[in-house]
Amino acid sequence: MKRLVTSLVLMFCMLALVLSGCGSAGGTKKAVSKNGKNIVVALDSNFVSLDPQDTNDNLSFTGEKTMLEGLIGFDKNMKIVPVLATSYKASKDAKTYTFKLRKGVKFQDGTPFNAEAVKFNFDRISDPKSTLKRHSLFAVIKETKVIDEYTVQFKLSQPFGAMINTFAHPAGMIISPSAVKKYGKDFMKHPVGTGPYKFASWTQGGNLKVVKNPNYWKKGEPKLDSITFKPVPEDGSRVDMLKTGEADLINPLPTVQAKALSGKNGIDVITNPSIGVRYMSMNTMKKPFNNVKVRQALNYAIDKKAFNSIVYNGYGAPATSSMGPEVQFYSKQKPYNYDVNKAKQLLKEAGYPNGFQTTLWAGNMSQSIKAMEFLQQQLSKVNVKLKVVPMEAGTMSNKIWGVTNPEKADIQLYYGGWTPSTGDADWAIRPLLGGASFPPAAYNTAYYKNSEADKLINAALQTADPAVRQKDYAQLQTKIWQDAPWVFLSTPDNVYGMRNYLKNAYVQPDGIMDLTHAEIVK
Amino acid sequence: MATEKQIETMEWAGTSPLPARKSPFSRFMKKLIRQRLAFVSGIGIIGLIIIAIIGPSIIPYKITTVDYQYVLQGPSARHWLGTDPYGRDLFSRIIAGTRISLSVGFFSVLAGAAAGTFLGLLAGFYGKWVDSIIMRICDILFAFPGMILAIGIVAILGPGIMNVVIAVSIFNIPSFARIVRSSTLSARAALFVEAERSIGAKNRRLIWRHIFPETISTIIVYFTMRIGTAILAAASLSFLGLGAQPPSPEWGAMLSSGRDYLDTSPFVTLFPGLAIFFTVLVFNLFGDGLRDVLDPKIKD
Repeated sequence: MKRLVTSLVLMFCMLALVLSGCGSAGGTKKAVSKNGKNIVVALDSNFVSLDPQDTNDNLSFTGEKTMLEGLIGFDKNMKIVPVLATSYKASKDAKTYTFKLRKGVKFQDGTPFNAEAVKFNFDRISDPKSTLKRHSLFAVIKETKVIDEYTVQFKLSQPFGAMINTFAHPAGMIISPSAVKKYGKDFMKHPVGTGPYKFASWTQGGNLKVVKNPNYWKKGEPKLDSITFKPVPEDGSRVDMLKTGEADLINPLPTVQAKALSGKNGIDVITNPSIGVRYMSMNTMKKPFNNVKVRQALNYAIDKKAFNSIVYNGYGAPATSSMGPEVQFYSKQKPYNYDVNKAKQLLKEAGYPNGFQTTLWAGNMSQSIKAMEFLQQQLSKVNVKLKVVPMEAGTMSNKIWGVTNPEKADIQLYYGGWTPSTGDADWAIRPLLGGASFPPAAYNTAYYKNSEADKLINAALQTADPAVRQKDYAQLQTKIWQDAPWVFLSTPDNVYGMRNYLKNAYVQPDGIMDLTHAEIVK
Repeated sequence: MATEKQIETMEWAGTSPLPARKSPFSRFMKKLIRQRLAFVSGIGIIGLIIIAIIGPSIIPYKITTVDYQYVLQGPSARHWLGTDPYGRDLFSRIIAGTRISLSVGFFSVLAGAAAGTFLGLLAGFYGKWVDSIIMRICDILFAFPGMILAIGIVAILGPGIMNVVIAVSIFNIPSFARIVRSSTLSARAALFVEAERSIGAKNRRLIWRHIFPETISTIIVYFTMRIGTAILAAASLSFLGLGAQPPSPEWGAMLSSGRDYLDTSPFVTLFPGLAIFFTVLVFNLFGDGLRDVLDPKIKD
């Protein structure tokens, strides 16, 4: 018994020591230095693939982007910039697109970059028999024609106004035809492109290393010798790596710690607006959400400002449309201001004066759980009782995308987010709210189908004229906003951290990182 | 109380009156007071039970009252233990959580003990194939680490506090069965049982009137010691998101929701952690002391 008491006292002493250490963490602002030009980037998940045409996660694109380049691409503000193409032209009917290619570029394996290589790439992904994950993005290409060695022309099967943005999507990055032929299915483990860094090594579920491409076409780049990407899912470990210098850059940086870390120990915390949107979708085919008044009531019942400060620690802004403000053709809507009485009134008019009970699904990341708890607290004030069910990714995928008959879908409320990596309104709306996008085909978890909205979605695609598309998308966004198939919540910021000697490394608004211009400044 | 019953039984069975002596309860109390640590822990347990009963009606804030302007604030006069990420009062939530943790601990062990005792009595008394079957099943359950077994059960039943009670009681069954079986084996061979059998008592009577009371002290000791473990297991399951669902103020769930703030606001995890620590500690110390008093044989 005595020993027990002694060990208890000891334990308390240790606890006190540990806790006293917590308080004095942090330090003064100072520049830290770095030897060599090799950096480590810690990310929150694993790489899935290194074949851009077979990738649908931002993290894999982040790795690919150091090695591969597209005809055109996005800069750090999601504005389209030419990369491997020097100029492009769209026909008026939005059916023919012509690109002039950059001369004197070679793939990392020595294969010349020319119109034939481009044709090979787009033939591969637009092939109707293709099972590549990004086939749907480019399925609209009917034919790719080589006009001369440095000119290539795309013919579409139907007008598609968002095509330029689609070419800028990272899935459109050009890969070496000879490498694809050499490696076949294994190309995803041996990517070869024209980018500033070339592939060195990758173990699935582990690190990815890329090294300097000495023959890169752009003079003066790259400025680093190598980049090593490490998947580190645990928030705390990632932060510790940044603090100790084991990692030079981490993305994302947990928002809870952003303020405490910023400017201390040579760490810069960088935030920029994303094009993502966070929403709670309501199954519009099911009672009570088939009533628009109920859907609007829920929009009024949630304090979006508080949502942002609680769930995202203030790093974000209330949503003002079904897409983020940085998306092309975004148009600002009249906000559903937080108003509990109005929400109650609308629920009463809809025939639910005493509220109702329902279930909310989402992933089991700590941020999603926090969001769900917040929504539960808010809706309890208008007597809408939520049962929250956090789900592991595989289970959730089964529950949502394993449903073939919309009538039988169990889903009621779903909390999720979407980032359109084309930067265009079409990809922000059609896959989520188009009538043809019900699961399992796409991501319309609200089972929202409105003939007027569908008409506008198609009309905006029939032309490449920005003025017409602007008008259509403005109408479309207003329609969706009023119909409220979602509770429109937030457009969160990207928050990442790096050691302060590292410059020109960005997280783009779509969440994909651009490290091609990164350099170490002493 | 059970101990008294045993004595009564003996009086009833005896032929001559027993010499006058102090009541068994006061003898028990005297011994217990001598176990200082256990006695203090016992008071701690009574305190916890009182908190569990009246706590929810005396707390300063409702457990669901949020204050988004006042999140993650450290301890102050307004919020004695600070506030959580939603601005809810941690003190109120921890007090309210006492009832959940104690009842989960108590009921899951009670259910496990009841089933385990029954199986242990059967196995020990009848022996042969009954014994083999029951004990082999227990061996199978023993082969799994307790938490893994509980996680597996919850995975089948789905998350929720009721399912945690079921899971924890199932993993308590084999240990009770084994311990009761060994007491039953020795009791079955005792002279008074043989005497009873020789005057033609039925098996049921032998088990419930004579053998079961013999095992009770062992059960009580083990019961108390298991409560601490059960509370810890339930909190662990809730920490993993398998137990209590929000907005329940279960301690393990509170720990889990505070773990992102360990660096910035350690009090969000510290206080629920201390609550678990303290509760488990008093139950274990009390169980230890009780063992010394009631059953010196199994002293290690």
